[in-house]
Amino acid sequence: MPEHVERVRRRSASIGFRIRVVWMGMIVAFFFLGTVLWRMQVASGEHYRQRLMRQSTRRVRLPARRGRIFDCRGAILADNRPSYCIAIHFEELRQRGPWSRTVEYVDSLLDRLADMLGLPRRISREDIRMHIRRRLPLPLIAWRDLDDVALARWAELASNIPGVELYVDSVRCYPFGPLFCHVVGYVGRAAVTPSGRDFDYYLPEYEGRRGVEKTYDSLLRGKAGGKVVLVDASGFRYRDLVSRPAKDGADLWLTLDVRIQQAAFDALGDRAGAVVVLGPQDGRILALVSSPGFDPNMFVPAISPADWNALLEDSRRPLLNRAIAGAYVPGSTIKPLVAMAALSTGAAGRDTEFTCPGYLDLGGRRFHCWYRKGHGRLNMVAALRYSCNVYFYRLALRCGPEPIWRLAREVGLGRRTGVDLDYELSGLVPDREWHRRHFGRGWSDGDTCNLAIGQGAIVVTPLQMAVVAAAFANGGRMVRPHVADRIIRNGVSKFLGRGPETADLGWRPQDVEVVLEGMAEVVGARDGTGRRAALPGYRIAGKTGTAQYGPEDDRKKYCWMIAFAPLEKPRYAISVVLDEGQSGGQDAAPIVREVLKRCFEAEACE
Amino acid sequence: MTPLPSATGWNRLRRFDWMMMVAATALMGVGICFIYSASFHGDPLRVAPYYRKQLIWDGLGLLVCILMGMTDYRRILRGAWVWYGLAVGLLLLAIVVGVSIRGAQRWLCILGVYVQPAELAKIVLVAVLARYLGSSVRRVGSWRIVLTATLTTGIPFVLIFRQPDLGTAAALIPVLLIMLYVAGVPARILVFLCILGLLFAPLGWLVLDEYQTNRILFFLDPGKDPLGAGWNKIQSEIAVGSGGLWGKGFLKGTQNILGFLPRSVAPTDFIFSVIAEEAGFIGAAVILVLYSVILSACLRTALSARDVAGKLLCVGVAVLLFFHVFVNIGMTVGLCPITGLPLPLVSYGGSVTVALMAALGMVQSVRVFATRIYG
Repeated sequence: MPEHVERVRRRSASIGFRIRVVWMGMIVAFFFLGTVLWRMQVASGEHYRQRLMRQSTRRVRLPARRGRIFDCRGAILADNRPSYCIAIHFEELRQRGPWSRTVEYVDSLLDRLADMLGLPRRISREDIRMHIRRRLPLPLIAWRDLDDVALARWAELASNIPGVELYVDSVRCYPFGPLFCHVVGYVGRAAVTPSGRDFDYYLPEYEGRRGVEKTYDSLLRGKAGGKVVLVDASGFRYRDLVSRPAKDGADLWLTLDVRIQQAAFDALGDRAGAVVVLGPQDGRILALVSSPGFDPNMFVPAISPADWNALLEDSRRPLLNRAIAGAYVPGSTIKPLVAMAALSTGAAGRDTEFTCPGYLDLGGRRFHCWYRKGHGRLNMVAALRYSCNVYFYRLALRCGPEPIWRLAREVGLGRRTGVDLDYELSGLVPDREWHRRHFGRGWSDGDTCNLAIGQGAIVVTPLQMAVVAAAFANGGRMVRPHVADRIIRNGVSKFLGRGPETADLGWRPQDVEVVLEGMAEVVGARDGTGRRAALPGYRIAGKTGTAQYGPEDDRKKYCWMIAFAPLEKPRYAISVVLDEGQSGGQDAAPIVREVLKRCFEAEACE
Repeated sequence: MTPLPSATGWNRLRRFDWMMMVAATALMGVGICFIYSASFHGDPLRVAPYYRKQLIWDGLGLLVCILMGMTDYRRILRGAWVWYGLAVGLLLLAIVVGVSIRGAQRWLCILGVYVQPAELAKIVLVAVLARYLGSSVRRVGSWRIVLTATLTTGIPFVLIFRQPDLGTAAALIPVLLIMLYVAGVPARILVFLCILGLLFAPLGWLVLDEYQTNRILFFLDPGKDPLGAGWNKIQSEIAVGSGGLWGKGFLKGTQNILGFLPRSVAPTDFIFSVIAEEAGFIGAAVILVLYSVILSACLRTALSARDVAGKLLCVGVAVLLFFHVFVNIGMTVGLCPITGLPLPLVSYGGSVTVALMAALGMVQSVRVFATRIYG
C-alpha cells in the first residue's frame, strides 16, 4: 500500500475514534441536562410551584375608615355614612371564548339591571373593557349611592342574580352642612401615595383638603390595610388569600361648640364677614364662622367642575376663610392697644387729657375725627368710650410709633397665630423699614396718626383680633388659639398636647385697669359706641371699629367689634367683622350681643 | 479513492436519512405549537401572528434542506471560500447599514424581510473549515494550519461580537475547536489555544456592553436584582420548575400567560421555558430525544462518510446544533448565562431555521453522495 494511502487510512481510523469521543461528550451533556430538568421539575418541582403560587397573587390596598370629627360636646361634625353600591363580580360572569363575549354578557346584564332598578346606566361598554384590562380582580361598581327606592327594587328583583352584589362603601358626610365648612373643611379623593405603589390595586380613599380635615389628615386617615388575592391564569380573582385589616383613623374632638357656632352663623346671616369666639384662658376656639360659606357635602365624593368653578368665580369668595385668612384693616379696634402702649411707656396716664375740635392739623394735612363736631376735652377712658380719633392722634404722637409697633407685635399682629387650620394669613404691621421698602420714604407723623386709629397699611385677621381681645381679658396674657382638643382612638382619649401655651406680656395691672375701664364703658355707657352689644345682667368690655376701604367713588366700611365677657372673670373673647356696613357700633355690636347671649344661655343649660 | 456511484434524481432522495427529517419536522411542529402558546394570553383573537410566519419559514427551511441534500456537497465545498467572502461582506454591511433591534445591529433588511447575516456566517464557517482541514494533502498538525483556521474563524467572530451578539459569536468557538480536534490537531495545541483565549477574555470584557456584562453578573448572582436584570432568569426557572412531570397542559402555563415570562422573549429565546411549563419533564425529555436523533444522524453520517471533508462537515454541523441546544436549555434552567441564542428549529426566527435546515441539508448531501452504506 502506498504510504500516503496508508496515512489517510490511519488518519481516517483515528478520526472515527475522535468522532465517537465527540458523540460521547454530547450524550453525556444531554444526560446532564436531563438530570437537571428532572431535579427541577420532578424532584423539587414543589419548591417552584410554591413560588409560582406567590406569583399569581395581586395586592389590593384597603383604605381605613376615616375618623369622625366631634364638637366639644359630642355633636358629630363629620361622619361616614354607608353608601349602597351595586358591584359586578367578573369571576362569576366569565363567558367561555374570547373576552368580547364576557364584555357582551356584562353589557346586557347592566341593561337588565338598569330596567329592574329604574336607574339610568352609568357604565359604558368601554368602561367594562377598561375594567377587564386594568382592574379585573376587583369588582366593578355599576351604581353608587342607591336611594331607598332603588334599594327596595334591588332587594325584590335583583338580589339573586349571580355575580351581582350589594356593596357598602363609606362616604364622608357633614351633617351640619355649611355651618362648619371653613373650620372643619372637606375631603377629596386622595392621589396615589408613594407607598401605594407597592400595591397592584388601590381602592379610593379620602384625603383632607381644607380645614381640620387637612391639618389632622394623618390622624383621621388611619393606616391602610391590604389584602392579597389569588388570580387564575386569566387574571380573575378566585380566592382572597390573606388580608391585613386597615387601622381605623382616630376620632377628633374639637373645642368648637355647635350652639355658639350656630349663634354666630345665624347672627351673621347672609352678610359677608367673620366671627371668632375664643376661650380667653386657654385659647380654645368655641366658634369660628366665615360668611358666605358653602356646603362641604358638595365635595363628596367629588365636586362637579361646574360647582367648583361657581365657587371660584363667586365675587363674594365663599371659599375664603375670612376668620383666619381675611385681610382686614382693624380701624378703631386697635385703640386699646395704642392706649396700652402709651400707658406702659409712662408717656400718659388715665387722666391725660386732650381737646378734640373734630380735627388735627399736621404738616399741612388735616386729620379728622369721625365726629366732625369734636368731642371737646376728654381723658383716656372717655376717649376709648367715644373712640375719639384726635385724642389717639395726640396720644400716639406723644409716645411715638415704636411702643405701638412693639406692642402690636407682642400681641401677635403681623404674624400667624399658629392656629391648627390651613392657609392662615400673617397680616402686617407696617413700620419704618417696611415703609422704606414699599413706599420709598420714611415714617412720618401722619403715619403715626393713621396707625393710632388702625388705618393705613396695617392688616389683621379676625382671629388675631380675638386673640387681642383675649389678651385684654386675661390682663396681659397671650394665648395660642386652637380648634382641636383631643383624639379618641380605640376608646382611649389623648389630648393633643398643645395646651394653653400662654405668654405673659408683662402689662402693669394699673395700666390694664384704665383700658378695661374704657372698654367697659364702650358697651356699658349709654353713649358708648358699642352700647348695642350690651346684655342686661352681664358686664361686657369691648371696642368697636369702622375702617374705610376701597376706591374713592365706592367707599365701603369694615365694621368691627372685639369684646369679652363677663368683665370680672372673662369666659368669652369675641371678634366680629363685617365686610360692609354703617359702622362697628351699628352693625357688629348687635352680633356680639347675640352671640354672647347664646353663650350665656348655653351655660345656663348645663 | 474509488469514484462514488452517481446517484441521480429520486435515488438521491431515497438515500436521505429520513429519521433525521422526521425529527427535524417534529421539532418544527412543536415549535409552531408553543410559539402559538407563548403568544396566547387568554384570547384566541389576540394571538400575535408569529406562529403563522414561522410556518412559512419552516416550509422554506425544509425546501432548502432537500435542495441542499440533493446537491453534491463537494460542489458546495468547492465554492466555500466564495460563500465565506459573501458572509463576511454581509456582516460588514450589517454594521454599516444594518437595522438595529433592541440595541444590537444584527439585521439586514432584504426586500422587506429581516435577515441575520450571522446565521449564514455560522454554516459557511463550518463549510470553509471542513474544506480547509479536510484536504488530505495538508498536514493537519502544523501550526500554520491551526493559525489559518483560527484566523478564518476570527474574522466573523469579531464582526458578530461587535454587533454585539455574544451568543452567536461564542458558538463559533466550539465549532473551531472540535473541528480542529476531529481533524487531528494534537491536544497540546488545542490546550494552548484555549489558554490563549482565556488570556484574551478580559480584553473582551472591556468591549462588552453594560447589559452583556450584567447578564453574566446576574448569571452568577441572580438574587441581586430579582425585579430587574435577573427577572427573566428567575421567572424562567420558576416556569420550568413548576411544570412538573406532565406539565400544566397546552395553553395553560400561568407563568407564560400571566406575562411573568416576558412576552418579547417567550416565543424566541425562552420557548423552552414555555414547553417545560406546559408539557412538563416529559415534554422537555421528548425535545431532548428529538435533538439526539438529529445529532446521532449527523455523527453517524460523519462516521460513514468516505472523505475527511465530509466527516468534518457533519461534525461541524452537529457541534453547531448541539451548542445552540445546550446553551439555550442551559440558560432556561439557570446553567448558562442569558445569551440570546435561540433553540434551533423550535424558537421563532427565520434566519436561524433556514440556516440550520441548510446545514442539515449538507449533512444529507454527505450521506447521499459519500457514504459507504446506501440506505
